[in-house]
Amino acid sequence: MKGFVPHPGGAVAHLDADERAVIARVVADVALLLGSEPFGMERDEPATVSDDDDLFRYLQSLESALSDPDDPAVLRVLPNAAPDDREVAAEFRRLTEPELRATKVARLRAIWEALSHDDPDWVVTDDAAVSTASALTDVRLVLASRLGLETDDDASALPDEIDLARHAMDTGAAEDLAVDPERVWLGMLYQALTWLQESLMAYLTRDDD
Amino acid sequence: MSTQHEYSRDSAVAVRTDDVWVTIVWNDPVNLMSYVTYVLQSYFGFSRTEAQRRMREIHERGKSVVSTGGREHMEVDVQAMHSYGLWATLQRSGV
Repeated sequence: MKGFVPHPGGAVAHLDADERAVIARVVADVALLLGSEPFGMERDEPATVSDDDDLFRYLQSLESALSDPDDPAVLRVLPNAAPDDREVAAEFRRLTEPELRATKVARLRAIWEALSHDDPDWVVTDDAAVSTASALTDVRLVLASRLGLETDDDASALPDEIDLARHAMDTGAAEDLAVDPERVWLGMLYQALTWLQESLMAYLTRDDD
Repeated sequence: MSTQHEYSRDSAVAVRTDDVWVTIVWNDPVNLMSYVTYVLQSYFGFSRTEAQRRMREIHERGKSVVSTGGREHMEVDVQAMHSYGLWATLQRSGV
């Protein structure tokens, strides 16, 4: 994976077939959570993944977690606008939620479509750069909720936790340390998307001082 | 962007105190500092320095009041922040 760098008319990142498939899948899952029709019903699945299910095994449980209407991930993407005033909060939700859901799903779909081509170049035009960064934010909010990242300290501790767990898995100590491979996998995906979004923000702000 | 600013100022003056609402952006562990700064700068029309100051206020103190005005106007701002994935709320000023 290579992060976003300037490209004629926008920015480009490089993702291999597995990376494209995983990100396309999680993007589609977050859209489902927001009430979208499943992406890909109209055409072939993006970048078909060959033999093993490992790549997607942990997304299965993410999907089932997301289908719960009480899932806190929904509340991170569509938060309460007035926690101390139920009437204001309900009115806000009634007025804005359909449009917010539609906006977020459309942005996710644009990423899904871009990653559905069999091409390692993920080109984001200047017009689409901010909406792509916003969609990456929504996906990261959902993953963070799944990972239980509630404070800045939780988020800061994640890289070391993932490194340690991966080392334990590589050296056969995972069982002793009670490593949860699903959590490691989601954590790595979260970190990869964070890194991609950072590179896109560096592109967007490249002319600032 | 600057029109939104003028609107905030005007409405804060024109209406009674109890009709003045605020939009608050809260800290969260997911949003990138670069992204929050960019959003505040581009949506509210803050200078880069001002957007960075408010981003740091959100990060270090947990929240920042980013706009002031009538309730409907604050609802528009909160909706915009939610669209960007920022955690924003509205409430009556001074509550």
